[in-house]
Amino acid sequence: MNDSERKTMMSGNEAIAQGALESGIGFCASYPGTPSTEITASLFKFTEKYDIYVEWSTNEKVALEAATGASWAGIPALCPMKSLGLNVASDFLLNMNLSGSGKGGLVIVVCDDPRGHSSSNEQDSRFYAKAAQIPLLEPSTYQDAKDATKYAFKISQQFEVPVMVRSTTRLSHSRGLVETGKISKRKKRAGALPQRLYNVPTPHLRHRDLLVKMERIREEFETVDLNINSNPKHTDLLVISSGVSSLYVQDALQFLNSMNVGLLNLVTTYPLPKKSVSGLLEKTNDVLFVEEIDPFLEDEVRMLSGDLKKSPRFHGKRTGLIPSFGEMNTDIVRKALSQLNGTKAELPTPTPSMGRELLVKRPLTFCAGCTHRNFYWAIRKVKKRLNEKLVVAGDIGCYSLGVFYDEAMNTMQAMGSGIGVASGLGQLERFGFDSKVVSVAGDSTFFHACLPGLINARHKNANLTFIVLDNATTAMTGFQTHPGSRYQEQALRRVRIEDLVKAVQPDFYATADANDTKGLIELLHSTIIKDGLKVLLLDSICRLDEDQRDSTLTDVHFKIDADLCRGEKCRICFADFGCPAINWSSTSNQAIIMDAICVGCGACVDVCPHDAIKEERLS
Amino acid sequence: MAGVGGQGNLVCGRVLAEAAIQQGLRPVVGDTFGASRRGGSVLTHLRIGTRDWAPLIPQGEVDILLGLEPMEALRAAVEYAGKRTIALVSLTEVPTANVNSGERVYPPLTKVSASLAEHCKQVYMLDAESALLRAGSPRALNSFLLGSLSALTENPLSQDLIRKALYTTLGRDTINVTAFEEGVAALHQ
Repeated sequence: MNDSERKTMMSGNEAIAQGALESGIGFCASYPGTPSTEITASLFKFTEKYDIYVEWSTNEKVALEAATGASWAGIPALCPMKSLGLNVASDFLLNMNLSGSGKGGLVIVVCDDPRGHSSSNEQDSRFYAKAAQIPLLEPSTYQDAKDATKYAFKISQQFEVPVMVRSTTRLSHSRGLVETGKISKRKKRAGALPQRLYNVPTPHLRHRDLLVKMERIREEFETVDLNINSNPKHTDLLVISSGVSSLYVQDALQFLNSMNVGLLNLVTTYPLPKKSVSGLLEKTNDVLFVEEIDPFLEDEVRMLSGDLKKSPRFHGKRTGLIPSFGEMNTDIVRKALSQLNGTKAELPTPTPSMGRELLVKRPLTFCAGCTHRNFYWAIRKVKKRLNEKLVVAGDIGCYSLGVFYDEAMNTMQAMGSGIGVASGLGQLERFGFDSKVVSVAGDSTFFHACLPGLINARHKNANLTFIVLDNATTAMTGFQTHPGSRYQEQALRRVRIEDLVKAVQPDFYATADANDTKGLIELLHSTIIKDGLKVLLLDSICRLDEDQRDSTLTDVHFKIDADLCRGEKCRICFADFGCPAINWSSTSNQAIIMDAICVGCGACVDVCPHDAIKEERLS
Repeated sequence: MAGVGGQGNLVCGRVLAEAAIQQGLRPVVGDTFGASRRGGSVLTHLRIGTRDWAPLIPQGEVDILLGLEPMEALRAAVEYAGKRTIALVSLTEVPTANVNSGERVYPPLTKVSASLAEHCKQVYMLDAESALLRAGSPRALNSFLLGSLSALTENPLSQDLIRKALYTTLGRDTINVTAFEEGVAALHQ
């Protein structure tokens, strides 16, 4: 048996979960968000086997608070989240850092999404580690992801500070070999809380104490073997990298002829191990920084240069040699190396552009039968009736695709910000704002961050219509359970959106079937033109979720009546409504329904103005 | 490996990674995740070596391009193909939503394969559809292409290990076995 046979293929996320298990965690609280979701999802599989408590919390702040409670009581706790999640949790983080995380051990994993593949922004979350003055680790490989997580727990337990592990999309979502270790099955016992879990009346002294701890952690980081330093005797150029970028650097160096390049791959990026880094800086002429996304490490190292006997020339995002936005890749590093003096990097082969003009994009769209499409279809109709005097303040979820659906959604920022923005817009009539205001949110988002906005709107009598598209699951990230989910695991109690909304006492409240396109148009129109705070709860369906739980619609078929279809002159069903199950056939010059894709919801029947779409029931 | 969400990119990556491990090598598999999975373009980067390579292949450095769909193969070739690239591409088109709705036209296959030939060292356009009909399921496209790949002399992994890895990953049912052997045969037709 060769060496690699004792190792397992794991994604960066799975390796982080494995590291947490090997560290003996007892508690994990999290809110799903790409690219972080699989960490918690992996841990759910081991709840019984390793006696751990795992929950999908209502939002990241609650998750971090819950995980901290566990750590305070002596139970090692993990809190994974995506970049934007840390924005939500940061208020708590920037208090708890001063009070300390207790003896259990608390590791926060934040997965950034350079390029925003699955995010509404591009954000470097490492600044939170600096803002909170907590240690930061950035693993580069799958093995690192596991090892860094274990080291993070060790540091957290030793110094009673929360430790941040930062991954990015390509590490979280790619797979490599990881050597797994033993997972302890010993019972965890909760104990008494530490004293003074608050910072008053002397937060500044708590701050002072944290800074002292951070200096001791800096000393630890000077010697940790997670940081890899490979330097030839005479170094012309030192490349300093962190995270998955270190792999791109190693790839790019394969193309180099000059061998006088030193490498410093830092996993412990904050607090920076000043002594060892300074030592290397004094031995080189040039330094190149390679990291995702902002020049975080670059700035930390640049700050050292004032204290050096001899300072090298620095190159990176601050000098424009490396772009300060987007994902890193090997080609960016190759190009940067080729532009630096003294290296003879072979430039990437320029790829001919021919053929690009042939490519047709595969744009994101609502799935066949997705009721969100029906809602936006109805909103577009109402908008026309109101002479475009309608603003839709949106939110985060599958329904964010409304921004691409004839711009039926006008704003889309952060979780819960639709109702918040609307509660402001709903006050502007006094300044001549003459559009009707609608806010849209999904069910999981409703619990995550909509309640304060909704209560604000009620309290201030904002004039708006709040619409909850309730498909009863967290669809975008893979159907995680939330408090309002239709299907709840044992021991979880469903909290109904309707009950919460009614408690706020809107001026008008109604529920409706989001599959009834015709009825939706009328209900939306009559509700939106009313004055006051109005809330609509639309019973929606995620077809992918339904697929997992067996569809019951299979005996219904829809056909297009060739005599009634106006074909090319109309185009409404296949081009405007845009259900992927309705295609245009250039041979028959008519719309056709693709039985293999159609889920049989019948939402398109009312969309056709010529009554050409007919239901056929198979007996 | 270039394809459309749901075609089996992920499985192809898993099988080849397993074969590489059995051969004593270290694979790294980078998949496209998240929102792009639902009917969108899916690209899997597989890198094999004695150490962990980065999860994205540099421009021009692709050795073998498995195209589960012709236009997706071209989309990947335009970004990543180079002097060494050998492309194995299924001829079967998966139209896009805007092609289906008549807004756009799917590029003619002759143009797609001509363009692939300009980007790659060698291109095999494979008639997977008729082979899969014989195998008994259109869903075995990944087994078929893995068969073709295993028959390629430039492929560094042993054919036997790829076959075994396929059986461990997908099971040794008649459909996958036949599709794999059809793929082996298709390369040399």
